[in-house]
Amino acid sequence: MSRFLPKSKRWNGSMGGNNKIVAFCCENSAYLAADRAGKMRLHYPDNVRIIRVPCAGRVDVLHILRAFEKGAAGVLVMGCQEGACQHLTGNIRARERVRYIESALKEIGIDTRRVKMVNLGPDMAQKFVREVKEMVEKIEEE
Amino acid sequence: MKVKIGIFLCDCGGSLKNIDFPEISRSVQEIEDIAFVDISHNLCLEEGRKAIASRILGKNVNRVVIAACSPASCEHNFIRLLEGLNFNPNLLSIANIREQCSWAHEGNVTGKALDLVGMAINKARLLQPVERKEIPVNKEVLVVGGGFCGMKSALELSQLGIRTTVVEREPILGGRLSELEGFYGFEISPKEMLSSMGEEVKKDANIEMLTSAEITRVEGDAGNFSVRIKRGVKEDSRDFGALIFATGCKAEILPRYFELSPGSKIISQRELVEILQAPAKLERRPEVIGFILDIADENSRLPSLLALNAALAVKNKLGSEVYVFCKNLKVDSEGVEKLYQEARNRGVVFVKFEEKPRISERNGRVKVEAEDILFGEEVSVYCDFLVAEEKGLPSEGTEALASILNTGVDSQGFCQDENVYLYPVGSGRKGVFFVGACRGNLDAARASLDVGSAVMNVYELLALGKAVVEVEKVKVDPQKCRACLTCIRVCPHRAIRLVKVDDEKWTAKIYDLACDGCGICAAICPAKAINFEGYADEQILAEVEAMEWQYGRE
Repeated sequence: MSRFLPKSKRWNGSMGGNNKIVAFCCENSAYLAADRAGKMRLHYPDNVRIIRVPCAGRVDVLHILRAFEKGAAGVLVMGCQEGACQHLTGNIRARERVRYIESALKEIGIDTRRVKMVNLGPDMAQKFVREVKEMVEKIEEE
Repeated sequence: MKVKIGIFLCDCGGSLKNIDFPEISRSVQEIEDIAFVDISHNLCLEEGRKAIASRILGKNVNRVVIAACSPASCEHNFIRLLEGLNFNPNLLSIANIREQCSWAHEGNVTGKALDLVGMAINKARLLQPVERKEIPVNKEVLVVGGGFCGMKSALELSQLGIRTTVVEREPILGGRLSELEGFYGFEISPKEMLSSMGEEVKKDANIEMLTSAEITRVEGDAGNFSVRIKRGVKEDSRDFGALIFATGCKAEILPRYFELSPGSKIISQRELVEILQAPAKLERRPEVIGFILDIADENSRLPSLLALNAALAVKNKLGSEVYVFCKNLKVDSEGVEKLYQEARNRGVVFVKFEEKPRISERNGRVKVEAEDILFGEEVSVYCDFLVAEEKGLPSEGTEALASILNTGVDSQGFCQDENVYLYPVGSGRKGVFFVGACRGNLDAARASLDVGSAVMNVYELLALGKAVVEVEKVKVDPQKCRACLTCIRVCPHRAIRLVKVDDEKWTAKIYDLACDGCGICAAICPAKAINFEGYADEQILAEVEAMEWQYGRE
């Protein structure tokens, strides 16, 4: 269990700007969209950290909250478009969880825009970049 | 066992100039448990792979981190390489420093690359090996439905040497093929096709026919289904590796859309075919025959296709005048545009309406009044027969079938609720396929494509007689499982079943071959009893925690 590892054993980040954003990306769509953005040299802010998941439905409330706990400025959950999920309902379940997190954030007085569910297809590199930029701008506004 | 991590950094032939590799190597070496850090120029080439092999074997590491291009493009190569070395490929963790780091940002991105490598290391530390095993699968296939698609599937499977059993509800084969008169795109008439296919099916030693039979229960998973087949009063259980459903559709006039109830003059397609097959029975030759479309359903291509076929058949056999009243003729199926041209050339008149035509019966004929929007004129035609539009609907028993299979139906009640764009003939369950009209594919050319696609899928699954699975990659911990059934309810692939542990305790069990590895169950389990090796909670959290820096409070 990583959280019980002694601190010296763990990698705790090196450098990089403030305001890191965690993006949970479905390996069937959003992860490929991010790859494509790289291939097309569409530049986006470098404070986003992409975590590959087999389906957006794998992302648990726990994962999103832990990201906030560890200092993430924003969390994006990126899955397939609705009706085109490889696993039928994964993206819908992810959306429900993101809504739940939004309500939880609201309760403790944090801007709900810090978490967002994004639906994109594997070729939507522009949309991926737009969403990341939007998130960064929103956070810098505050 | 103590974790020993080997790290390979690849600078993609020296092209990733905005990452300082020696700097990363220096920083990473300070972390504990790192056996070595190698910088290579091209891991994906032969020499790179040789280097990986010799380093892994030489240093005796038990986790590997590769920082290179996207796993989408390189992962399978490395997995194959590691398998060859007898190194469990599940112990590999990849950091994507090319597409999602070097290429995606301007300026020096060594910091981000270092973070990505750190995330991969944190994850690699927690990875556990997953055994890969071959399991036997049953090579027999069950085809339900003995219509055109069913017979075609059986014949094509038989050519590939797969034994097939065809179950048909009716006492004879053929389905709705006997109701058609001439079908465009096929050179022979449906009747001849039916008899020749029936003959072939009967002669084929690989095909077993069960007519007047129905399936009542399906158990098991892809590769090993157990199906109960009821035939008369007898009911027996048989084993199959895959199931193909070709249960077809039914076509009906929906009377609620017509002011006049269908009677002697407003007839269905089937009645028209009966007339065409025995024109001598009529008192006199009908002079005008009208077809009406797009009243009940604007979205179906079946009525358009049937009407065009029938209109041509009428022209050929009776030589009557033919009017087709339609809103928007659907010509998107293969060859239908040509069929439409041919119909026009033969003198079929198409009247395009916007408002619903008025239909009344006068002097034993049907009067149809419509406004032709292309000419802006009122058109009224007296027809001897008006052929009403038939709507393709799921055949009887589709719902019962869906509940037997534990799969869903779509909004119109057809068999397939699976994502039709990704898996054209598949279903949520592996090894269960739907072809032809039962999934709403209502024309012959598309249905034939379905058959080919399903046969390919079945062959891929069963041809070797065995399948490779990752044993317990997703696993339920019976100690934690409270048998709340949540995972069984949410599993999109129906891969989870409840099994008995002892007299009192039940637990959920995941079937490896049926599981597609989405991890939805692992996320939703309230008891956190499901462990998805490779994407376990701790492994994802380890990646998340690698980012802790700015507000780094413990």
